[in-house]
Amino acid sequence: MTPAHDFSLHGTPGHEYKMKLTDEEKKMLDGVYGDPIAKALDYLVQFGEAFDAEKFIDITYAFYPAEMSIYKGSVEDVVEYAETGARVKVPTATSTLACDLEQWNKYGVPEPIYKLQSQVVDAHKKMGICGTYTCTPQLCGFIPPKRSNIISVESSAIIYYNSVLGARTNRGGVFTRFSAVTGKYPLMGYLLDENRKGTHLFNVNLTPDEFRDDSDYSALGFHAGNIVGSEVPVFDNLGIPTETNLLALGAALATSGSVTLFHAPPHTAEVNSIEEAFQGSEPKEIHEVTLDDIKNAYDKMTNIGTGEKIDFVEIGCPHYNLDQIRYVAEWFRENNVKVHPDVRLWVTTSRMIKQLATWEGYTSMIEAAGGLVITDTCPVESHMRISTCNEFGLKVPQIVAMVTDSAKMARYVGDLIGCKTGFRRLDDCLKCAVEGRFI
Amino acid sequence: MPEKLVKTRGIVKGLSEGPALVCKKAFSFLGDVDMDTGVIIAKGHEHEGESIAGKVMIYPETKGSSGGCVVLMSLAKMGKQPAAIILSKPADPNIVEGAILAEVALVCEPEVDLIELIPNGSIVRVDGSAGAVTWTDE
Repeated sequence: MTPAHDFSLHGTPGHEYKMKLTDEEKKMLDGVYGDPIAKALDYLVQFGEAFDAEKFIDITYAFYPAEMSIYKGSVEDVVEYAETGARVKVPTATSTLACDLEQWNKYGVPEPIYKLQSQVVDAHKKMGICGTYTCTPQLCGFIPPKRSNIISVESSAIIYYNSVLGARTNRGGVFTRFSAVTGKYPLMGYLLDENRKGTHLFNVNLTPDEFRDDSDYSALGFHAGNIVGSEVPVFDNLGIPTETNLLALGAALATSGSVTLFHAPPHTAEVNSIEEAFQGSEPKEIHEVTLDDIKNAYDKMTNIGTGEKIDFVEIGCPHYNLDQIRYVAEWFRENNVKVHPDVRLWVTTSRMIKQLATWEGYTSMIEAAGGLVITDTCPVESHMRISTCNEFGLKVPQIVAMVTDSAKMARYVGDLIGCKTGFRRLDDCLKCAVEGRFI
Repeated sequence: MPEKLVKTRGIVKGLSEGPALVCKKAFSFLGDVDMDTGVIIAKGHEHEGESIAGKVMIYPETKGSSGGCVVLMSLAKMGKQPAAIILSKPADPNIVEGAILAEVALVCEPEVDLIELIPNGSIVRVDGSAGAVTWTDE
């Protein structure tokens, strides 16, 4: 990421900045705090000016893209960057990796992928980054309050922070590193009130039995995301959603659309009423959500026929919390069943939540039933991805048909792993795991 | 041979020149191009098999995953990056990040449609700061 030669703006004689900079920011650009900081802010100035940002704001948190070994040059890049001595200025958590660093040899990760990936840990520590390696950093205590300005990667985390917590972030990319080390981000996009206004209203009048599971919310998100694209949907009459319901809704909205923010008053943080969500103007479109819309979303993400063999069940997209893992563990014990021998069952979560699950005995219950509790990663970011198989000379495809309770996972496995997909409620996913067939 | 000049919105600075590679459809750096060689590998792409290295790429907009930024950086490390990028639509943050790090001049929203105007292969000059695009009509 560090270019071979310096081409920074501050070295250009007579260069005038379009952005208004504070004295402190000018000092940063002048190299008073060292070259890495000067370069980082210079990149952010170029970025901000490209989008007509007026000035920088101070951020209080960064959710950082952990460099994955499945992207060429990515690991080498952060190892090299950490050598510059740059350290993060704000609390910084990390997104997922390409493998579970503890159990990689339990599920067939090729050693080169693991060895390369494990090098990021020391680099992140050197930079002061907390190695959470999860897509649900909020479950590890990274909970920025309402109206705080932050920068986040990972579409499901971005939309959760913006919507459920009411923090403010754009869709972060590789420049998240430069914001983390400077504590700065250009004032633009979703950091501005006017861009947080609702655009489309979705009226959800479904009974608690029809609309209940996280996957039902995921199906709703998939349906609405297709309609709104990159705009701001507002949901009315959601019932009494749990935080996992809202997490599932957001993850799916950011999958079928590139939705960055939604409102579901009064359950989401920013607004208390529908009127407030639209900032006094009328919705562009109003949609009544029917049970057919939910069913269609399940059908759209499913191309496995009933009774067909399945060989993978993935639950935990986004990464599960402790109660979701408890439910799975107890389901196997109460039903006194085991995972079919031809099926791999992954329950994906963060390393912190897994510690709790292990202390509570849930990890061993799931393992006794034939499943795995995998941390740090998920199937689409793993060695099972087609592009990774090609690069590392692995056999493709390794999976024939995957069943999942997440519309997001279902959407991406088709393209990235090249297998058939089935999108179902959690209980049905678990039944599929036991039967080895799609039900 | 008259030289032609079109104003655009300058996004990422840099002065560069190269043969035009005109693509009528949205381009994805993740998947459409080989990360090591810069050769277009997208099946059925109008320039499948041609390299983007040293070319002035002219296309409507960037599509696909945020991984595209990483690809542009990888190409730059191998010296296989394009000379410049001209987008018809507004630039998205991801391609801008990639272009800044890869040091590829990038302009967008030209005052007239350059996809129709610039013949593929003509030598094009791009000034990323001023937003100027010039070329000579054969």
